[in-house]
Amino acid sequence: MDVLFNQLFSGLSMASILLIIALGLAIIYGSMGVINLAHGELVMLGAYATWALQHFFGFSILLALPFVFVAVGAVGWLIEKIIVQRLYSRPLDTILATWGIGIILQQIVRIAIGPESRFVSGPEILRGNIQIGNVYMSNYRIFVIVLSIAILGATWAIMTRTEFGTKLRAVIQNRSISECYGIESERIYSLTFAYGAGLAGVAGALITPLFSTIPTMGTGLVVNAFLVVIVGGLGSLFGTALAAVLIGQATALFSIVMNDTLGRIAVLICIILLIRLRPRGLFPGKTRN
Amino acid sequence: MTKKLKYDLVAYALFAAVIFLAVPAYLNFEGYELNTFARYLSLGIVSLALALSWGTAGILNLGQAATFGMGSYAMAMHLKLKSSQGLPDFMSWNNVEELPWFWVPFHSLSFTLLAGLLIPASIGGIIAIFMFRARISGVFVAVITLAFLVAFQLLVIEQQGYTGGQNGLTGLAPLTLLGWTVDIYSLSFYYLIAACLFVAIMIGIYLVHSKFGLILRAIREDADRTRFFGYNVASYETAAFCISAALAGWSGMLYTLVLEFASPTYMSVSFSLAIVIWCAVGGRESIIAAAIGAIVVNLLEVRLSDVFVEGWNLILGVTFVLIVMFMPRGLHGVVAGANDWIARRKDSRVSNAKHSNLKSRPEIKGGQ
Amino acid sequence: MDLLEVTDLRVDFGGLRAVDGLNLNVSQGEILCLLGPNGAGKSTTLDLICGKTQLTSGSIRFDGHEISNIPEFKRVRYGIGRKFQVPSVFKELTVDENLQVARSKHSGLLQTLSKFRHRHSPEIERILELVGLETRRADMAGNLSHGETQWLEIAMLIAQDSKLILMDEPTAGMTIQETDKTARIFESLRKTHALIVVEHDMSFVRQVADRITVMAQGKKLAEGTVTEIENNEAVKSAYLGH
Repeated sequence: MDVLFNQLFSGLSMASILLIIALGLAIIYGSMGVINLAHGELVMLGAYATWALQHFFGFSILLALPFVFVAVGAVGWLIEKIIVQRLYSRPLDTILATWGIGIILQQIVRIAIGPESRFVSGPEILRGNIQIGNVYMSNYRIFVIVLSIAILGATWAIMTRTEFGTKLRAVIQNRSISECYGIESERIYSLTFAYGAGLAGVAGALITPLFSTIPTMGTGLVVNAFLVVIVGGLGSLFGTALAAVLIGQATALFSIVMNDTLGRIAVLICIILLIRLRPRGLFPGKTRN
Repeated sequence: MTKKLKYDLVAYALFAAVIFLAVPAYLNFEGYELNTFARYLSLGIVSLALALSWGTAGILNLGQAATFGMGSYAMAMHLKLKSSQGLPDFMSWNNVEELPWFWVPFHSLSFTLLAGLLIPASIGGIIAIFMFRARISGVFVAVITLAFLVAFQLLVIEQQGYTGGQNGLTGLAPLTLLGWTVDIYSLSFYYLIAACLFVAIMIGIYLVHSKFGLILRAIREDADRTRFFGYNVASYETAAFCISAALAGWSGMLYTLVLEFASPTYMSVSFSLAIVIWCAVGGRESIIAAAIGAIVVNLLEVRLSDVFVEGWNLILGVTFVLIVMFMPRGLHGVVAGANDWIARRKDSRVSNAKHSNLKSRPEIKGGQ
Repeated sequence: MDLLEVTDLRVDFGGLRAVDGLNLNVSQGEILCLLGPNGAGKSTTLDLICGKTQLTSGSIRFDGHEISNIPEFKRVRYGIGRKFQVPSVFKELTVDENLQVARSKHSGLLQTLSKFRHRHSPEIERILELVGLETRRADMAGNLSHGETQWLEIAMLIAQDSKLILMDEPTAGMTIQETDKTARIFESLRKTHALIVVEHDMSFVRQVADRITVMAQGKKLAEGTVTEIENNEAVKSAYLGH
């Protein structure tokens, strides 16, 4: 029983990180229809930025977080400005271009920093565990869960409660009409892409104490995050959140019953079946067509 | 005969002359060099397989490496069983006592050859039916096939006792084909692979120029509209996906023959990306161009990666992004564009000289 | 027996009942015009017949087959063709190729796999002449003008040779001359094909309609010949408001 709870708890913390990655993807896909296959590499950049800040300046993860958010967000902004913006009329090509960007980022890091894994230590303040019965919950993992909920809330507020969010939703509904009303859709897109990328960076920073930091770490994460986005239903923030928890927990549970790899495969099969039954996800957006 | 078909057949003949005559002569019929070139040719098939599904039908299959790997492992297991007395070595290392039932029929070459085509086709078919019945298209097909690839590679690595795991299948016996023991460093082996490539290209050209290919192009542009002309869109997409998977399996079988081993890296995401790059560089809309793309990129890779040891992948990535942005139709697009331009200039010169009053004709027709 | 028999057709979108208990009959070789104010459910009715939208209840019988529960492509194979409101041709295919796609008597996978494409068929030649596109056959459909695109789509429907053709606003955006030409094309279709035409242009309707059905709020308001409809009080008040 305790094994089960311990697994569920660690599943929940992984789900939280998955949620932050998936949120970024969902925002980028939901607003401009771009499947950003470089998203995993943005997570990787976030992880390396955290490592660099700690290694060279002695920053703890908590202190590094805002810097990483801004830095990776800036990288995302550049990617959007230079490449993605030219491809909005060709959705399949954005997949390819972002895939290529992913390779480029991976290679740059491999050449500049090296292929071996890097270690980042967790923050001092959050060392230690909380013990309930025989279930150990590390403070750091609790922090990750709380932070991801906060990010979900903040994103929701930005989308629904700010002028930027209103403009973004207008552009999503109808780009050309919005432009007629003076909304600069290009700027909105750039900022949205940058925000999504910044979230990937934050996820990368948070994952460093739990995962080894290597140039290829993004690939597996991004596939999982995509599945979360698809299962959650496009354009639904809370659908994304629920799907992240479901997939995180299902992976954790299957892993107890079978082993890690088979667990992941079983989850994947379930997801494919689910997509067959509900092609538009669990919580599809409410618009017609 | 349509103009496009004529172009394809001319290109086919030229390309065949280069591969069958010029290349072996240029390489001085030297065994090692021929073997290296045969490797590029075998990869040409998987690239054209992608052109068939992606360029023609608009199905961007990012998991092409999975079906390639299935063909590769089918052939490798046949040769492994041939080289082992009793149980293959890696199975006994992993405490597998007995050859599992699903590998038993691979003792037979004919079964292996069939399986190398049919297993990828049927597994591809199952995925395809799932996706296309649910009317999943575009970017979602890309994501689902990519997810399948990741899971499939994990499974192969995980099932060490049955697949050789991370090490793959090595120590293979040479192939015996109708009593001929294949020497992979011989001219005849090079011609065997080249012949396979040209048969595959022929199949591709036939499909693209048949009415089936026309319907696939119609589906790529507007699946709904095609449906309202009475075509069962899902079954057309599934057929394109299966044929493409079978060709990829064939390519995998040949690749294993050339390299004499099978490795799970053939099913990696980066290998799948490489296939997409070859196809995009050559030009996804043309079967021949896609095959040439694979050969050119691999040739460059071997020549240039000595010069830029670490940087090659970086160069490849940058080139790929530039091609996607500025040359979406690849090298083929450049050639076809130049061709059209010449044809248009010739046309306008002829019509200017002959009927300078032709311009008003459409209006006359319109008023009829 | 009529070619098409629609009985008690009903469809709900969320809370909205877009089509409500509609009965509709079309016989062989007849041109039926569907009129009605915006939102009356005309296009939805066409969608229900061709299978783009699933009905909530009711029955659609075509040529002796119940078709309300079979997929779109099978309905097409029984002989129902559809022209959409927005002209939809395959822009990246040539005019010729568009017509070849449309000629779908043999639409099965094995049939198209075994068929290598021919350039010239007398049938396609005749249709191209009928709509006046014979000089444009090798052009990309994307390069045609708006009127030419409309005719190409009509030509595609003729090539498809359906027993029943559903047309959604075939003259939308056409000039007077173009509309006249379209009317003449329709004349040549009469007798061999049955048509249901959704149209707002009354002069066009007068030219082609055998019978008119007027819809309002998803129901049938009136039915009859052109003169009967033009003198119908209920129709006048529906159009002019109460």
